[in-house]
Amino acid sequence: MTNVARTGQTLLIVASSMLFAAFTSAMVVRRATGTDWIAPSVPVWLWAAALLAIAASCLVAKKFYRSAALCGFALVASQIACAASLRMGDVAQSFAAVLVTAHAAHALFGACALWWKGERASLFWHFAGALWLYVLWLIGVWA
Amino acid sequence: MTIFSTDHKVIGKQYIGLSLFAVLIGMALSLAMRYHLVHPDAKVRLFQMLWPDGAPGGQMTPELYLSLMTMHGTIMVFFVLTTAPQSGFGNYFLPLQIGAHDMAFPVLNMLSFWTTTLSFLVLMAAFVVEGGAPLSGWTAYPPLSALGKIAGPGQGLGQDLWVLSIALFCVASLMAAINFIATIIELRAPGVGYFDMPLTAWAWFVTALISLFAFAVLLAGGILLLLDRMAGTSFFIPGGLVVSDQIQARSGGSPILFQHLFWFFGHPEVYIAILPGMGVISTVLSVFSGKKVFGYRAMAYAMLAIGGLGFLVWGHHMFISGMSPYSSVAFSVLTLAIGVPSAIKTFNWIATLWGGRIRFKAAMLYALGFVSLFITGGVTGLVLGQPGLDLYFHDTYFVVAHFHLIMGVAAIFAIFAALHYWFPLLYGRFLNETLGKIHFYGTFVGVYAVFVPLHFAGIAGNPRRYPDFKEYEFLKSLMPLHVGVTHAAYSLAAIQLLFLFNYFWSQRKGKLADKNPWGAATREWNHD
Ligand code: HEM
Ligand SMILES: [Cu+2]
Repeated sequence: MTNVARTGQTLLIVASSMLFAAFTSAMVVRRATGTDWIAPSVPVWLWAAALLAIAASCLVAKKFYRSAALCGFALVASQIACAASLRMGDVAQSFAAVLVTAHAAHALFGACALWWKGERASLFWHFAGALWLYVLWLIGVWA
Repeated sequence: MTIFSTDHKVIGKQYIGLSLFAVLIGMALSLAMRYHLVHPDAKVRLFQMLWPDGAPGGQMTPELYLSLMTMHGTIMVFFVLTTAPQSGFGNYFLPLQIGAHDMAFPVLNMLSFWTTTLSFLVLMAAFVVEGGAPLSGWTAYPPLSALGKIAGPGQGLGQDLWVLSIALFCVASLMAAINFIATIIELRAPGVGYFDMPLTAWAWFVTALISLFAFAVLLAGGILLLLDRMAGTSFFIPGGLVVSDQIQARSGGSPILFQHLFWFFGHPEVYIAILPGMGVISTVLSVFSGKKVFGYRAMAYAMLAIGGLGFLVWGHHMFISGMSPYSSVAFSVLTLAIGVPSAIKTFNWIATLWGGRIRFKAAMLYALGFVSLFITGGVTGLVLGQPGLDLYFHDTYFVVAHFHLIMGVAAIFAIFAALHYWFPLLYGRFLNETLGKIHFYGTFVGVYAVFVPLHFAGIAGNPRRYPDFKEYEFLKSLMPLHVGVTHAAYSLAAIQLLFLFNYFWSQRKGKLADKNPWGAATREWNHD
């Protein structure tokens, strides 16, 4: 990977981290100030989606970029299915939907990049995988 | 096709063109507002033609006034002050100044520009859709901005488009920020260290860093706001809200939460608007006093300090939001602390002038005007930074005067300085000096004539964002002041025509410039 590509990706990662940090702090504040917070129940299969993210990262490490991208697409599909099943009228669920959808956008971008750019997109993909574990923790454990 | 050019120079000029177009619309809106404030009952054919629903019979409704105000603020802050100094001049000159062949990601650069343009078009569309433009100001506070049509004519589709436009603008700005930072980190020519870069490059660098951290947060706020409007969520809409006698079926949302997200972006945003100008002014002051910038390193560190501290002070926009007095004190102390790097910059500018052989060219006059405006506008910032005083001043014309002088007008003076200074590189010719000087003196007097009295209106308790002052007994005595301000605003606008003429005429007919006519030391002048 060229230095320019690595720096560009690192900066993109910073921007994405800020986006999720902003969603997180909004969620923390909203839970603390409202009285209507009901812990959402995260479907079991969404946890399985974590395995997809990890598997994709392992495949990237082994240089199987297109297989990794396929895992990535499967992850996106499961995320969209999950987000579609959430009720937007419930505040905790609506936060979960926002986080899952925002992550799906990142995972889709990352998987496409893996498919076409291979190794050059690896850094971003590892970030997206770690971010998914964080999102799962946030909506599945913390919330 | 050149309109989708990936060349940084073309893109720089495209951004400048977009801003120029935007500023003309923004200015026209401000004149309509100032006219309405002193003639609230007048019937104006033009208003009726432009806004048949907003001005039935030519009489401007309060809703139309507020929508003009919203669009004025949004256009000026985003498409003028955020666009021209950073993306316009930065794209054109940054690569030249650090010896790079182009920006790091030319295609991304082109996409940033066109996303910004799309964002602008989406915003303009708000004028023509049903209900017209939104009413909630450039800060778009919920619940007003979150409720939809029931909250006012422009609060339907108009506000949807507004939020969408801002979200697009965020994406474009993030792409641009990534490009600027990567260019500076990776594409400096051999031998150009960070501390060999001109202060303009430093300013674009720090501004891009601020954008990278700030716009992502506004994007998050925008997404949540859009969902409150379209998907029935309650992030920002509180429970039990009654609007037009209808109870809103939402619960538990926090309008203050949006204010936090907005101002976490919003305060850094004011530095996004001013820092590139500071860079230009440092260069112009030094070139036209024939001296090096005094305290170069201190200037670079001061910008970094301003950028960093700028993320810790957003609460000063929310002193009256019911925050704990302890938080107020913390925000106040941090806010006043920004005065330190700001003062370092100001003293260094003056020290740069000290003992120099000053050439009073038009570019130099604008730079001196910038320093003057930065001081006048900064002093009132220190007043507003005290929670006790801000309780009174918040949401009065005192705030309007503060931010117009320091953000609006100072940054625009930096744009004028930059155009006069770099015109030979942009178009191979000079802007006309005589016209430039007349324009400078007229504008300088004009902006003070408009904004100094508004401080007094604020001190007298005149609230901002009111469409009709004569409705209130305590404001009636201020009408003469407002009449004076409105006349000053007309004159100020008229003088801008001189600049417009100069700008277009000089591109074709201006005096031809030879290489490096000002005797500058930076690379862009010594490029082939
Ligand atoms: C030491 C310097 C400064 C201090 C202490 C300061 C302080 C403040 C405070 C406390 C407010 C909130 C007033 C209120 O709403 O009640 C404010 C508003 C504002 N300031 Fe400053 N400021 C400073 C410099 C600047 C600079 C450099 C800019 C822009 C380049 C700027 C732009 C603004 C804007 C745009 C607003 C109003 C936003 C709105 O409510 O629409 N300020 N300032
Ligand atoms: Cu501020």
